[in-house]
Amino acid sequence: MKKVKLIYEGKAKRVYSTEEDDKFIIEFKDSATAFDGLKKAEIQGKGEANCAISSKIFELLTIKGVRNHYIERLNEREMLVRSVKIFPIEVIIRNRVAGSMAKRLGLEEGRKLEKPILEFCYKSDELHDPMINEDHISALGLASPEELITIKDTSLKTNQILIEFFKLCHLDLVDMKFEFGKDSSGEIYLADEISPDTCRLWELGTTESWDKDRFRRDLGGVEEAYNEVKKRVLETPVESKTRILIRLKQGILDAQGSVILNALKSLGFNEVLEVRVGKLLEIKLDRKVDEAGRIERMCKELLANPVMEDYEWEWIEE
Amino acid sequence: MNFGIVVFPGSNCDRDCYYVIKEILNQPVRFIWHQETDLNGIDCVILPGGFSYGDYLRAGAIARFSPVMSEVKEFADRGGLIVGICNGFQILTEAGLLPGALGRNKGLKFICRYVSLRVERNDTPFTTEYRRGDIIRMPIAHNEGNYYIDNPDKIRNQVVLRYYGENPNGAIDDIAGIVNERGNVFGLMPHPERCSEKILGSEDGLKIFKSIVRAL
Repeated sequence: MKKVKLIYEGKAKRVYSTEEDDKFIIEFKDSATAFDGLKKAEIQGKGEANCAISSKIFELLTIKGVRNHYIERLNEREMLVRSVKIFPIEVIIRNRVAGSMAKRLGLEEGRKLEKPILEFCYKSDELHDPMINEDHISALGLASPEELITIKDTSLKTNQILIEFFKLCHLDLVDMKFEFGKDSSGEIYLADEISPDTCRLWELGTTESWDKDRFRRDLGGVEEAYNEVKKRVLETPVESKTRILIRLKQGILDAQGSVILNALKSLGFNEVLEVRVGKLLEIKLDRKVDEAGRIERMCKELLANPVMEDYEWEWIEE
Repeated sequence: MNFGIVVFPGSNCDRDCYYVIKEILNQPVRFIWHQETDLNGIDCVILPGGFSYGDYLRAGAIARFSPVMSEVKEFADRGGLIVGICNGFQILTEAGLLPGALGRNKGLKFICRYVSLRVERNDTPFTTEYRRGDIIRMPIAHNEGNYYIDNPDKIRNQVVLRYYGENPNGAIDDIAGIVNERGNVFGLMPHPERCSEKILGSEDGLKIFKSIVRAL
């Protein structure tokens, strides 16, 4: 897949169109900005770290049934995604008080919230992404009420999945930002990236930052933080299950099937026309979505005998 | 003429083969444990019958991962003689050393009895002691002997033994034994080692071992 045209350049990413209308390529940059661009820097390795982290997290979300724009990681800095039109809304979800919420409400950072808080901001650099509410969104037509329900449900579900996942990485998910988009048929996808640029991540049980706050607040060790999160995220296994069905090829006599067919008929189940007997395998793996080709290989190289058996497989979504 | 008999966990005809080669033909023979990787000095490898790895997944499917099998493949590439009997035949198809596959018997039963076979080729190193068209009797003992290949015409010239008179397991084209294209790898469902002495009721199988000795 080749990049065709730069269609958007943001603070940390470039988005390109491709030869296929329904696919974009996102390129992750090393540059970072904060405070609406007042503070700028290049952070060595950030692009690669965010690309790797986002890819793995989107893969996890796909396994868990969260529709998102990710298709595959192309290289160290680029991922292939479904082309979607981004809603002009930023969704912020908070599990603890931190950042702008602490400032706005005069609360101490780190306080655990009774339940996750969803906030919405209107995406506009000139206006500094002002906070809006659901009425603004529907009254201004930024998203329809049905779309907003999907966006909210997906945000809460994703938050729960990622709290659990980051816990396995020994990280506390304090808050994060989502963007959503829709494709030409109106399906809504979680989009953008999920990385230390868009999440507040603290060392579990402490308030030690492993995210962009290191840069915002001049805490030092910025590069190390991105690399550490990348390392932990990549090392944490994502378990998934696949179900593989193996049957004799059509045209090969399935003797067991015939015997069962006759047995069913003798019980009066005359509507049964054919019975094919197969093997069902459930395989649990630590996988990445882009490794679907490996399941094919498992089937071809061992699980099925291609001379006489057909196979089909599917991911089991939890 | 040195024979090597591979012993997998679950092989159970290894000793019968050993006995025939050692005691009846007086040829040097040794067992090769499936974890060995040294086939030095071996002229003919035998993969004996049995239930290697409990027939898990499919008969013969797991045995091909034994360390010895990569050596057996190289041995085949070098032109060495290989005979797979029953489970050995299943292993050879699973390992890709012989075409086709062995599925479950048509009647869904384990069959253990004598069958009649017709010798289709006597120009292989395994069958020179027979005459083409000979009708011989050998015992079979298997649950998965139903040979299948999508295009049997492709291997028409590789068929060495066919069931004669009656096809016990549904094998396509009555195929009971085949060689590879090169002719140095032979797989058969019947058990020649069980019919190599008069006292056992038949010596029809002995000619296979004799042919091999003569070939080398």
